Amino acid sequence: MSDYLIGVLSNIGMIAFLALSAYVLLVTGSISFGQQAYFAISAYGSGIATAMWGWPLWLGMLWGAALAGLAAALVAVPTARLHGLYFAVATLAFAEMVRLLLQMLTWQIDVDGTLIGPMGSEGFREIRYIYAHDISAVQFMLLIYGLLGLVVGGLTLMERTRLGLALRMIGEDEIPAEALGVNVAACKIFAAALSGIIAGIGGALYAHLITYIEPALFNVMLGVHGLAYGLIGGLGTAVGPLLGVVLDIGFLESVRAFAGYRMIVFGGLVALLLIVRPRGLLDEVTVHRIVRRLIRSDHVAH
Amino acid sequence: MLVIENIVTAYGKIEALRGVSMEAQEGRITCLLGPNGAGKTTLMYTVAGILHARRGSVRLQGQELVGKPSSEIVRRGLALVPENRLTFPEVSVRENLIAGAYLRLTRDKAGVAEDLERQLVRFPRLRERINQDAGTLSGGEQQMLAVARALMARPRILLMDEPSLGLAPLVVEEIFRTIHELNAEGVTVLLVEQNAHMALQIAHHFYLLEQGRITFSGVPGALQEDEVIHRAYLGGSGASSH
Ligand SMILES: Nc1ncnc2c1ncn2[C@@H]1O[C@H](COP(=O)(O)OP(=O)(O)OP(=O)(O)O)[C@@H](O)[C@H]1O
Ligand SMILES: [Mg+2]
Repeated sequence: MSDYLIGVLSNIGMIAFLALSAYVLLVTGSISFGQQAYFAISAYGSGIATAMWGWPLWLGMLWGAALAGLAAALVAVPTARLHGLYFAVATLAFAEMVRLLLQMLTWQIDVDGTLIGPMGSEGFREIRYIYAHDISAVQFMLLIYGLLGLVVGGLTLMERTRLGLALRMIGEDEIPAEALGVNVAACKIFAAALSGIIAGIGGALYAHLITYIEPALFNVMLGVHGLAYGLIGGLGTAVGPLLGVVLDIGFLESVRAFAGYRMIVFGGLVALLLIVRPRGLLDEVTVHRIVRRLIRSDHVAH
Repeated sequence: MLVIENIVTAYGKIEALRGVSMEAQEGRITCLLGPNGAGKTTLMYTVAGILHARRGSVRLQGQELVGKPSSEIVRRGLALVPENRLTFPEVSVRENLIAGAYLRLTRDKAGVAEDLERQLVRFPRLRERINQDAGTLSGGEQQMLAVARALMARPRILLMDEPSLGLAPLVVEEIFRTIHELNAEGVTVLLVEQNAHMALQIAHHFYLLEQGRITFSGVPGALQEDEVIHRAYLGGSGASSH
């Protein structure tokens, strides 16, 4: 596999976590423009853990994702009652606050003779864990896809449980959901924490793959992309957002002809899809149809 | 069975319910009539635990409901069919029905399946559309689905908020027939309506709610029907304003 291809695939995989985190909230009916904050919190948190404190990668990632999940849950407590535009603006404001705080975060310590740590808007260099431990690009890509598989599998299973049904009910209409005995507030905080953790996994992977992060990377455009992937790919299943990522990064970014025009083409594509397929390519009806077809061909095969 | 006493519920500073007291007796159909904005929906939400009362008490078979989460209230046997927000539109009819038994979904799979079958026998049209998204059903079918979904919770008392809203007369009759049948099977009903004419035909007792206060309580026939209709649509102090 060429380095270029590995790079593109790794990118797709990491951004997919962001898309999935936005998707979890979209399912519950909340449009967040702030998922990049959790991506950033975990990128910094895990980077600090491995590069400054010398923690192993798995522990650093766990720590970063846990921080992101906690932050998301804390944000959800006051924002769970907001809807639509109000929720979107609140999440965006929080993410911008995180970005500005990271710009002010300067904290370096001496690690084996070099000063390492975040330096405000200059960024955070030398998150070199995977190079120091001879983890190859392919191995890291496999790690990304392994974790992605776990998350997608977990979400797909969750969608079939009572909790999954509750989240969808909340996404459709909170009042009847509450009337049927669903604890809407608790479910929304849970969904937020889960979305924070998922974004956090992506952020931790990202920091370690590119070894250098800076606050400007985690601006609102990152969040908008994460959100758009879910809208393009569809809300019928957790695979939908992945399709959105593959379309954008795998296709638009990789096809040379679009160079320089990618954002324009992407924007146009989003607008077009929202008009012709308001609930994305893999919407509920399509998923339902595919699943039924699979079941039928399963019967035939037996 | 359901005793509501001096309930005050407010949206911010505005008190939508200003000390409401009423009662729904076991085995009966109690009807709550009142004009737009009187506070009928607010009362239903308060009783179901979706809104929280500032003051007052709601007791179901002697047990206090105020301050309890909606899950606890459903568990005690109260189900609400909300006004307007009937179904989960992008969710299939089957899942909508199953969602009605939300609180015992994991514990009582067999019981839920049985209840589902019972509802499909009662509402055959839902069976024909079982895999369709609920949002594709007609208004009347959605109302039926909402009733069936509420019944999936095995309620002892069913609260219905304006089930006739926006439906054609024939469909309204069908809904009222269903309410009547349910009641004959032993379900206590608290029915919110603006369609006073239809409601008075099946109610055992009715109340008028105007501007957050109960202004009349009695059996059908205790007031002239045209006065009830007048006050249910327009509010105001009835006969004197004619
Ligand atoms: N979310 C809210 N925020 C503020 N005020 C509200 C809210 N919901 C209802 N109200 C107000 O409370 C009062 C009672 O409203 P409610 O919906 O309970 O009336 P209703 O009797 O159900 O009317 P309708 O027949 O139109 O359904 C109205 O004055 C209404 O404007
Ligand atoms: Mg109402």
